[in-house]
Amino acid sequence: MYEIWLVLNILWELALGAAPWLIVALAVWLALMVVASRRPGVGWRSGLAGTVLVAVVVAIAAFLLVPGLTRSSLGELRYWVDWVNLFGVALGFAVLAAAFAWPLFAMRRR
Amino acid sequence: MQGPHPAAPRAGDPSDPARRRWLRALGLAPVAVAAAAPPTRAAAVKTNAHIVIAGSGLGGIAVAHRLGHLLDGARITIVDRKEEHNYQPGYTLVATGVWPVDKVRDRNAELQPAGVEWVKDAVAAFDPAANTVVTSGGQRIRYDFLVVATGLHLDYAQIEGMDVAAIGRDGLASVYASPQAAEATWAAMQTYAAKGGNALMTLPATPLKCAGAPLKMTFMLRDRLRQAGTLDKSKVQFQSALGNVFGIKAINDNVLERWKALGIEVETTQKLVAVDIGARRATFASPEGDKQQLPYDFLHVVPPMRAIDAVKNSDLAWKEGPFAAGGWLEVDKSTLQHRRFPNVFGIGDINGTPRGKTAATVKKSAPIVAHNLAEAVAGRKPDAAFDGYTSCPLIVREGSAMLIEFDYDGKLQPSLPGLDPMQDSYFAWLMKYRLLKPAYLAVLKGRV
Repeated sequence: MYEIWLVLNILWELALGAAPWLIVALAVWLALMVVASRRPGVGWRSGLAGTVLVAVVVAIAAFLLVPGLTRSSLGELRYWVDWVNLFGVALGFAVLAAAFAWPLFAMRRR
Repeated sequence: MQGPHPAAPRAGDPSDPARRRWLRALGLAPVAVAAAAPPTRAAAVKTNAHIVIAGSGLGGIAVAHRLGHLLDGARITIVDRKEEHNYQPGYTLVATGVWPVDKVRDRNAELQPAGVEWVKDAVAAFDPAANTVVTSGGQRIRYDFLVVATGLHLDYAQIEGMDVAAIGRDGLASVYASPQAAEATWAAMQTYAAKGGNALMTLPATPLKCAGAPLKMTFMLRDRLRQAGTLDKSKVQFQSALGNVFGIKAINDNVLERWKALGIEVETTQKLVAVDIGARRATFASPEGDKQQLPYDFLHVVPPMRAIDAVKNSDLAWKEGPFAAGGWLEVDKSTLQHRRFPNVFGIGDINGTPRGKTAATVKKSAPIVAHNLAEAVAGRKPDAAFDGYTSCPLIVREGSAMLIEFDYDGKLQPSLPGLDPMQDSYFAWLMKYRLLKPAYLAVLKGRV
């Protein structure tokens, strides 16, 4: 339980450090969702395929790039803890990308 | 101990007050409050006690935040002249060129809890019999309860010829002295790595803050030589004043094995006693008094460490036993309450306890000190026990580290099942590089 609380606090402090970017991103995402939800005939379901594709591409890119961006390399992933954590980070980027991609694809697939 | 170095909050700095106001203005305050709330909170103890906290490092501020929640009506005073708050766990990253120096510099004023009085003066003396702290400005501050969180003294003066101001020049390096010294150490390391040569890395025989730092510096120096392509022209030698390089046998053996494979030589029971900075010669002494002088192109000085004079020269210091020579604070290692003055508690580097002078020690002991002090205020017996937990993300090269956690007994204590403390990993590196400073800030605010 303590470890979960610690992780939540670390994420909160990281978010505080990136607050301007996160606020702008949140505003853009909210605007996209409002526009998409008000447009008639938006294809949320049909937009899923493109969204998943974007998420997968972003996840793979994050998986390959994040070690280098943190002054390490894929070669330093030595055991399962490393792989699980990098997978989690990549998944986080994928979910973020999907959140933006979905309303865009949904509006295109009316 | 750092001198005052005012620094403006940086862009991207989460402690920036302007950013906090902006967040509140944008309606994020409820989110902040939710995230800031501790998972459980006992009913606050009503009191009008005056609690003085000597020192505003991680331990002092973390305990101040926690006491603010645990005590209702208490007057809390922090005594410290430091204007700048330094993230000391980041010094090794600065000194090895991984981080810019501004990542370890924050303003103390932005980190102090609301409602706490800040006396901007250094503690000059403790008079526990009179429940009084005396500042260097002559102010006498009476207390009902005292938390000693002063940090320790880097005793460079024990090394003849050593000049902290010369760090960064003539191959002289030392990660501990200050952010500026860490930055200058990186400059010296770059110059050395470009040409190669003879490097001497040192370790004193006293208790150390972040005992892993001398090892990290050695691993990283060797890695910088490899990156610069000057390994074949270089020799890295570790001179330990002890019989080993780390106090935990399993880690000591692991590090020695790694160093053997990396070609790093180790000489034990060799204490750095003098340095001729201009001539680049260091003198080492054995316990028998035999001296040897070694030439160097790069020298990493780890100073002997002891309690600050105000503690060492007071009745608060150990009077006998292994911690008496350094004048460390005489606290019970379990409750962190002073053994002779029950209204005094200690936290952080100043404590005369086995092992553990790291931010991780403070992370685990701050809740215990705050709780036990609140119990003492309520007239109850302190009942929370500290097991001596500490941890060290031991960098083994750029991009990889080992996450070592252990207790007073030297027993390895991985936080998560499945974590192998002896396994060098990207995860441990990522912790050190990106995640531990946010964790530090959460500790500082009394949340974890």
